[in-house]
Amino acid sequence: MIDDIAFWFGYLTNGKHLTWYASFQFTIFAALMGGTLAVVFGLAGATMKNSRFFPLRLLGTIYSSIVRGVPDVLFFLFFPLAFEQGVEWLISTQVCSPAAIAAQTAAWPPCKEANWFLGTTEYLILASVSLGLVYGAFASNVIHGALRSVPAGQLEAARAYGMSPRQVLWRIHIRQMWVYALPGLSNVWMLIIKATSLLSLLQIADIVLWADRLGAPNFLPAVGLVHEDWRWRYYLVLFVFYILVTWLSERAFEAIMRRAGRGMLSEART
Amino acid sequence: MQGFLNDLAIMAPAVMFNIYFAAASIPIGFVLAIFLALGKASPNPVINRLTRGYIYAFRGSPLFIQFFMFYSLALSLNIALWKPWGISGFVLHPLFMGPLVLILNTAAYTAEIFYGALRAVPRGEVEAARAFGMSPRQQFRHVVWPNLIRLAWPAYTNEVVFLFHATAIVYFALPVIGAQADLMITAKTLVEGDYNAFLHFSVAALYFLTVSLVIFFLFGLVYRRLIRHLPTQPRLRFAPRWLR
Amino acid sequence: MKKIMLAAIAALALGGSAMAQDTVRIATEGAYAPWNFLDEAGKPAGFEIDLGNAICEQAKITCEWVINDWDSIIPNLLAGNYDLIMAGMSITEERRQTIDFTQNYFPPDPSKFASAAGTEIDFAALSGKRIGVQGGTIQATYAEENYAADNTIVTFTTADQAMADLAAGNLDTILADGAYLDPVVNASGGAIVFVGEDVLIGEGIGGGIRKDEPELKKTLDDAITALKADGTVDELIAKWFDGRGPFFAQ
Repeated sequence: MIDDIAFWFGYLTNGKHLTWYASFQFTIFAALMGGTLAVVFGLAGATMKNSRFFPLRLLGTIYSSIVRGVPDVLFFLFFPLAFEQGVEWLISTQVCSPAAIAAQTAAWPPCKEANWFLGTTEYLILASVSLGLVYGAFASNVIHGALRSVPAGQLEAARAYGMSPRQVLWRIHIRQMWVYALPGLSNVWMLIIKATSLLSLLQIADIVLWADRLGAPNFLPAVGLVHEDWRWRYYLVLFVFYILVTWLSERAFEAIMRRAGRGMLSEART
Repeated sequence: MQGFLNDLAIMAPAVMFNIYFAAASIPIGFVLAIFLALGKASPNPVINRLTRGYIYAFRGSPLFIQFFMFYSLALSLNIALWKPWGISGFVLHPLFMGPLVLILNTAAYTAEIFYGALRAVPRGEVEAARAFGMSPRQQFRHVVWPNLIRLAWPAYTNEVVFLFHATAIVYFALPVIGAQADLMITAKTLVEGDYNAFLHFSVAALYFLTVSLVIFFLFGLVYRRLIRHLPTQPRLRFAPRWLR
Repeated sequence: MKKIMLAAIAALALGGSAMAQDTVRIATEGAYAPWNFLDEAGKPAGFEIDLGNAICEQAKITCEWVINDWDSIIPNLLAGNYDLIMAGMSITEERRQTIDFTQNYFPPDPSKFASAAGTEIDFAALSGKRIGVQGGTIQATYAEENYAADNTIVTFTTADQAMADLAAGNLDTILADGAYLDPVVNASGGAIVFVGEDVLIGEGIGGGIRKDEPELKKTLDDAITALKADGTVDELIAKWFDGRGPFFAQ
């Protein structure tokens, strides 16, 4: 019995498992950074949609409808690749000699000096930016709606008080907007959490990749413990992990909403 | 331009896989969701807890993980040995496993939508029906259900669109049979060939957008029918509230 | 201003690629024991990792290992995410169209079919069977060309996943490298057996590099030649493949 416990403890704390546990940092980083960027892009998108300048308004609307009209995973694969190619093209205009371009046999990059190495860090940042862009489109919708939910009387009162338009926007409008936006933003946050499971598609050694590697059947003692296909157990752990994160996020958002709703009119708490 | 037309032709058969996955899972998911929503509203504590737990678990975890988990779980349970109609490899075939997981997933999301609508059904109408002497079954059939579906339809439309988008990850998680490839796999393979990410992903995106709009249009027609008796006609808006 | 910014980006990139000259990034799959796998410590290990480190030592270059999924390992090489693939990749004419290879560091080795014990398969008229392969391998291409018409080819992301499906009865047989299947069949205690005849495909396993890198190719080839000559390669093969070979020395 004691031996068994010691064995399983040893197994679950071997380097491979420790690497798995450590890889949760990528998921958490992508979620937090993606969430922050989503709010930033969301604010930008909502401001554009509210703009009096027609092209900006059009741009905001196009951004939020196109991105929401295609699957997140498509954008998730497309954006990092497109960004990389964009940077490489920029570099190539500076460093590629015509001879080097002519000598290039591969389809991309234009010449081999223009190549940009992408490692886990770069991919992780690009993945977070694409999460931010995709879910920023959802957030912009939420924020756009919330900005319109702020009672007009509040803004009129602020104007009557002699505040400049900028002050009205930042001190009253956006300040009060959060209360209306929080339920929707919490929904967007849940989406971002779930989308972080796609990181392995960008060659990041994340929790999903390690679950597959750890659970895959092993027949060779030289490789480690010989075991049959255990993948479903590892995926079950991830399944439960995500449910727990969702539950914790819900509690956190409830607390924030209670706090943000203090001193607001009761109609605000929808 | 030639490349664009080529891509359109290459991806035309691929989109059928995505449409199949969505079409196979939506009707069954819809029926399952009704029962789950009723279960969540049920006063029976066992049924209530179970359905609540189910809905929470499937809405609270990524579909990507659900695919991996159910496939490997089915393998470990030796489900492959079950051969309906003597066809080997039926149960673990992506064309079966894909819709199965999608059904389990969409049923949870749809049930949440239906549950919300169920609670929004006007109390007065239900009470009137009861006063009228209708049995619980009749009440549901003639009063609760018509209200529920009308209230839930806009959100359900969005759920269907997002379910269609979710079909994009089926083949990232399940083994690929023969030359079968959906939109994403086709686009990815093409990009890996010539690095023209802008072209190939745009064409795939165009297909997704087009089908999404078609779904939206068809569901809009149904919605118009559902609300044809209302004095003020609310319009179906592409404003997802319940998202995957 | 714009010009300056561009120059700054370019300088950054140049700095990056200058550094990359000193460090050679080697990509491996980490799911193809005993060639390459992730050991108990979570680090890449196996025949190719030992050999790769020996090559780098011989050629006096610093090396860094990168884990990359098999199905995107060639595209990501071409995209420049690493410089060399050592992932049990057989040298074939088809792959030569897109990438270059070093000389082989593992001799040509037959591919084999394996099935659960008791499976009856008539290889003379193979039809209606479910054949598992790892996607993008020479075996996948071979199965696609020879058996796709009458059988179902099921493609997996890793070889281990194909093995798991075979063990669970979801496949009739799998086609894979003989040296990959050997230890698995041995360890299965008779549950999994070889069936049918061996198939010889490929020209042995070599390192994959981009086509425009003759210097790197020469450096690596020289190092492999030296390691073959002093017996290091054969020693490593003996170490990782239970002393069975195949070996380069006659």
